[in-house]
Amino acid sequence: MTPLQIGLLGVLGLLGVGCYGLLITRNLIKVVIILQILVKSAVLALVLAGEAAGQAGLGQSLAATVIVADTMVAVVGLALAVQVRRRCGSVDLSAISTLRG
Amino acid sequence: MAQSLILLCIGLPWAGAVVAWLVRNEQERSQHALAVAFSVAAGLASLVLIPYASSEVVLRLPIGGLFGDVTFVADGLGVFLAAVATVVGSLAVIFSVAYMHGDPQLGRFYALVLLFIGAMVGLVLSNNMLFLFFFWEITALCSYALISYYNDDPKAVAAGIEALIMTQVGGVGLLGGALVVYALLGSYEIDAFLKNAATLGTTPLAWMAFGFLIAAAAKSAQFPFQTWLPDAMEAPTPVSALIHAATMVNAGVYLLARFYPAFAPVPGWRTAVVAVGVVSALMAACMALVSPDLKRALAYSTVSQLGYMVYAVGVGGFFASQFHLLSHAVFKALLFLAAGAVIHAVGTRDMMKMGALGPRMPFVRNVFVVGAAALAGLPILNGFWSKELVLEAGLHDGPAWALTLMLVGAGLTACYTFRMVWLVFFGEARTRLRAHDATASMRVSLALLTIGTVFTWQLAGSFARFLEGTLPFHKIHALGTAEVVGEILVAPLTWVALGVIALGLLAWWRRDQLAGVADSFDWLAVAASKSFGFERINEQVVGVTLAVANAVRVTQPGHLSWNLVGIIGGLVAVLIFLTWGA
Repeated sequence: MTPLQIGLLGVLGLLGVGCYGLLITRNLIKVVIILQILVKSAVLALVLAGEAAGQAGLGQSLAATVIVADTMVAVVGLALAVQVRRRCGSVDLSAISTLRG
Repeated sequence: MAQSLILLCIGLPWAGAVVAWLVRNEQERSQHALAVAFSVAAGLASLVLIPYASSEVVLRLPIGGLFGDVTFVADGLGVFLAAVATVVGSLAVIFSVAYMHGDPQLGRFYALVLLFIGAMVGLVLSNNMLFLFFFWEITALCSYALISYYNDDPKAVAAGIEALIMTQVGGVGLLGGALVVYALLGSYEIDAFLKNAATLGTTPLAWMAFGFLIAAAAKSAQFPFQTWLPDAMEAPTPVSALIHAATMVNAGVYLLARFYPAFAPVPGWRTAVVAVGVVSALMAACMALVSPDLKRALAYSTVSQLGYMVYAVGVGGFFASQFHLLSHAVFKALLFLAAGAVIHAVGTRDMMKMGALGPRMPFVRNVFVVGAAALAGLPILNGFWSKELVLEAGLHDGPAWALTLMLVGAGLTACYTFRMVWLVFFGEARTRLRAHDATASMRVSLALLTIGTVFTWQLAGSFARFLEGTLPFHKIHALGTAEVVGEILVAPLTWVALGVIALGLLAWWRRDQLAGVADSFDWLAVAASKSFGFERINEQVVGVTLAVANAVRVTQPGHLSWNLVGIIGGLVAVLIFLTWGA
């Protein structure tokens, strides 16, 4: 097994963990954490893709950009969770669902 | 020079839109002044552009590989329609100074009107099909916002949404056609398409031809999409004039005329175009005959006259259709603005409440009668010459049944026009209404349009040469004005048509004696006043859409987690698809 394949397995593993987590959790805070896991799989994929294409620097700089952007997403997500808690009294997704069609 | 003129024609109205939007609504006078200044400047720019017309690409803006270059061609057809849009548009803006006086949201009104005019100019000058589509959609959006301008009136909002949805249906056909061209030719350029249309093969060309026919029918309110235009009468009257005469509805006829050389060989296409025109012309004329609402009657007459233009394109009378478009733009703007002056004065649109307004508003009566005579096709006004040209084209190359029905339509046109004039200005006053004649700025627009109605037919010869010289793909036989006049005057069809028109006038005059005949057509009148069941069909379509939406709403349980998984799953699917494809 080459290092690239091992890395790709890691990407798939993180993706699987994220999707599984999304399906079982109902807590908004946990959803934010799981989104972080999913983004980490994307970061890993970027680094691997840069390595595989022979442009390691490009992949790593993109990964760094994603980490910065992703931090902001997490901050905003947590802030929204706080607001949801204040407004609805709960962070349980099934209790606060207003997206129902 | 032509480059900067094209940019001015599109840019001036758009710049005016931004400026009118930014000026505060408290400064009403400067808003009026700015809107008039920018629209008149755009009108002048488009008139100056006329001598520079050519079939060459004069403006090329590279915007990257995805969409191709944005190219503009100022050929005869485009420049002509740009001039109609900006000149008639600027007259509507001048009229608005009086009509919209004291409106609390003038900025929104002028911004949308100017955006509308600019988008229409872009639509007719664009040589890139994708940008044709973009401009097409901007005009749809503006018409929606302007029809719903009185947004505290549920009827106006509903009419706006109806117009938006109907024209969107057509827009899909246009976008599909543009994508087909890009897929097969690798370019969105219209002139490249017209040159190579024959190499595309019959099936894609047929799809495009019928897709564009649907787009044109939706935009020009032709059968079976005619319902949105009469409902659009909820808009302020200058907007109605703008939509009906200068911008929106001409776009459909423009589309058919522009692509006629490519689509004419498609089997069945010309017959379909003729049928759409004939059905629209007759059906709308019947509805105009029974409408009690002044603006709605005018709206039906627009649908009917557009039917004549579409019919003319279908029988190959390219010049006749564009000439009728010119005449119609002038006299219909005149009629709408005069109707606006009446409505502004008396405060109602119901003709049954009017009557005997003539002596109290003599100026409006006089100009309205001129416009009505042109609509009815009475000599020597512009509507007479262009309508005869359309009928001549139908006689020259077209099915006999269509020509017969169009002649009947001409008689009906005369009848409903005369009815309209009579109910508003003559007869007895049916209710006591306060009335005053048109104000000064209204008179400017009305007088200019009246002069146009009387004299634009003299442009026939130079207009034909203008089109012939700049449209390489359309086959036009240019005749001088004198030759056109001579040909029309000696043609037997002209006298037949005049006889039918006279019969139409007589039918209204002798309506008491003809009561028995009228009673036997009662079913038709009832059907016409119910818009031939098309409102019912619209309601059914809405009902079916809502039912389907209700049925599939269970797929939206509203769980954030599931939505996120769906998004990620979709992304992964796209990635896999791209990997496999590459």
